[in-house]
Amino acid sequence: MPARTSLSPVTTGWLMLSPALCVYLLFAVYPMFDVLVMSFSSWNGLTADSAFAGWDNYRWVTTQDPVFWTALWNTIAWTLLALIVPNLLAFALALSLNQRLPGVAPLQVIFYLPVIIASIAVATIWKWMYDPFFGLLNATLTGAGLSGWILDWLGDRQVALWSVFAAHVWQSVGFAMVLFLAGLQSVSPTLIEAARIDGAGRWGVFRHVTLHALRPSIVVVVALSLINSLKAFDIVYGMTGGGPAQSTQMLAMWAYSQAMQLGNFGRGAAISVILLGITLVIVIPYLRWMLKTEEPAR
Amino acid sequence: MTDIRKVGLTALTMFGSLGGYAAAQEITIWSLTSGSQEVTAAWDRIVADFQAANPGITVTLERRSTDEHKAALRVASQSDQGPDIYFMWAGLGLGGEFVNSGLSLPLDGYYTQYGWDDRLVGTAEGFTRSYPPNRHGVPYTFRGEAVYYNKAMFEQVGITELPDTYDELKAAAQKLADAGIPAFTFGGTVNWHIMRLMDVILETECGAEKRDALMGMQLDWSTEPCATEAFVEFHGWTTNYFLKPFMGIDQAQAFNLFIADRAAMMLEGDWLVNQLDEAGRAGDMGVFPFPTGTGRLYGFGENFYISTQSDAPDAAAAFLDYFVSDAVQQSVSGLFGSISINSNVTYTDVRPLDQAWMDIFAEYSETFVNGDQAFPLDVTTEYFRVINEVASDVLPPEQAGAALQAFIASRN
Repeated sequence: MPARTSLSPVTTGWLMLSPALCVYLLFAVYPMFDVLVMSFSSWNGLTADSAFAGWDNYRWVTTQDPVFWTALWNTIAWTLLALIVPNLLAFALALSLNQRLPGVAPLQVIFYLPVIIASIAVATIWKWMYDPFFGLLNATLTGAGLSGWILDWLGDRQVALWSVFAAHVWQSVGFAMVLFLAGLQSVSPTLIEAARIDGAGRWGVFRHVTLHALRPSIVVVVALSLINSLKAFDIVYGMTGGGPAQSTQMLAMWAYSQAMQLGNFGRGAAISVILLGITLVIVIPYLRWMLKTEEPAR
Repeated sequence: MTDIRKVGLTALTMFGSLGGYAAAQEITIWSLTSGSQEVTAAWDRIVADFQAANPGITVTLERRSTDEHKAALRVASQSDQGPDIYFMWAGLGLGGEFVNSGLSLPLDGYYTQYGWDDRLVGTAEGFTRSYPPNRHGVPYTFRGEAVYYNKAMFEQVGITELPDTYDELKAAAQKLADAGIPAFTFGGTVNWHIMRLMDVILETECGAEKRDALMGMQLDWSTEPCATEAFVEFHGWTTNYFLKPFMGIDQAQAFNLFIADRAAMMLEGDWLVNQLDEAGRAGDMGVFPFPTGTGRLYGFGENFYISTQSDAPDAAAAFLDYFVSDAVQQSVSGLFGSISINSNVTYTDVRPLDQAWMDIFAEYSETFVNGDQAFPLDVTTEYFRVINEVASDVLPPEQAGAALQAFIASRN
């Protein structure tokens, strides 16, 4: 009887990866490829056949679509703010809650709770709070004698997008807070003590020890913020639907609108591909840079 | 028992079981959620009673909001997960798109089989002939849209006669404005709500023929003077006679403001009668047609269509036959619309607002549809955007026609 031959570690690894890889290829890679192909076609989503359209969809979207550039600038502005505002707030919260104080645990739960509320429910809550006639916000301002501050929060195009952004900050800050908190709690007390012995003050300890130890958390938070904000959809959809007059439209939502509401699947796919390209151009270099700067540290 | 009889009995049992299994059918209906609890309850009752009368057919009714319903149908069109029967507005931009894409089953045979034309009101069944040569859809309702007004507010400012002309309507709005009462409330976030005012003003300024030509994109919006006049008039209304702010609220919020006596008028459909009734305000409101001067009523048809992907078209037709029957339509008289689509329905204990609607329907023999049903979907979206930009003082009304025409031209 021939001796049993065992599989090589590489082969074993691939075999173990294959089920997850199959699922990923089927539900992530294949749809991406399908959308890419669809972006070069003209299809209304109802008929069985589509027609080849070449670069027409991309040309129309970038030169004749009255909404595309508004959606693009809104997406970029939203992304930049989403990288800074909620994450700074989350970091400050994490620093504050990384203390041995009574009530810290319930506070962590309270700040995290909005994360688990569905985005569409958050949109509904805030939409009613922003109601110009009966909403909590304007009623509070009136009661405080600040009726001059009252705005049409979701109907004034100067403030509508930022009103929605405020709701997004409320919902998302808890998630980054938890990641930062986990990072802070993994900072070695030995390193902190050693830094203090070497004469480092509070700022020195924070800058050279804490912040340095938080690099993996920061990489994850920034990458996730980038990806999530570039595809922002549900909260904007729920609060303004892209209005007033498409002034709060976002690329992901406009891609959806083109395909699912207007039946222009080719144009919707073209917008999705453009969004994917922007995402890859931003996220991949960022991750490569962070990994490079981490290597010498190891 | 002899062998042949055993075999025969076994065969009978087998085929009997198979036949019994084949007789059990399931049909799915996709329709809209309703703002009226009575309407929702009535639908549940209709489905339950049909199933009781037809034990071999199971009916599942799925309801969604307007935009989600449209999106769900589009997603389902490429799968076998779609409905057997679906609700859709009859206009070209909505129901017409599904008909033209081959997703609506021609119902000529069923019309003959069930004799539906003998029961249907002419206006209602007319909407099923929109896409010749075949009949598509069975009427659910036909809708009129008109101006609901707060009687007390009208009395307060001395409006004793209902406006019969557009100039009289503007004069009434000015009287209200002078008394500090906003004439109209609208919800700007849902696009199609504020669009209604633009539609009726376009009809008023352009007349029936030109309006139809503009909506059919046969006339140039940038050069047709009445189109520009309509946008200018529309902007005048949004600037001077609207309850503000309005761009950040939806039609449900606008309705709440109307029944909270924050504005004197709303441009709404006959479906509002139920909502006013449930809010206890029906007695305080009246209704009159928007005075376009063209002799056409602003309105549209709503149909149920049988999907070409249905596995049970006969069962679906049987349900629709039940739905339009004299008994069912009599039982829901006044609920789905002020006038039933069934001509055999008799009306007793008619609510004053329903009677007002019946009088309005009797007065008009022609209709003009909402813009979002006349235009193709992509033009509708641009129409919404231009209207909203004019209403938000972003786009000068004099440039609105050109903006819309530029988009229409880019489609060719």
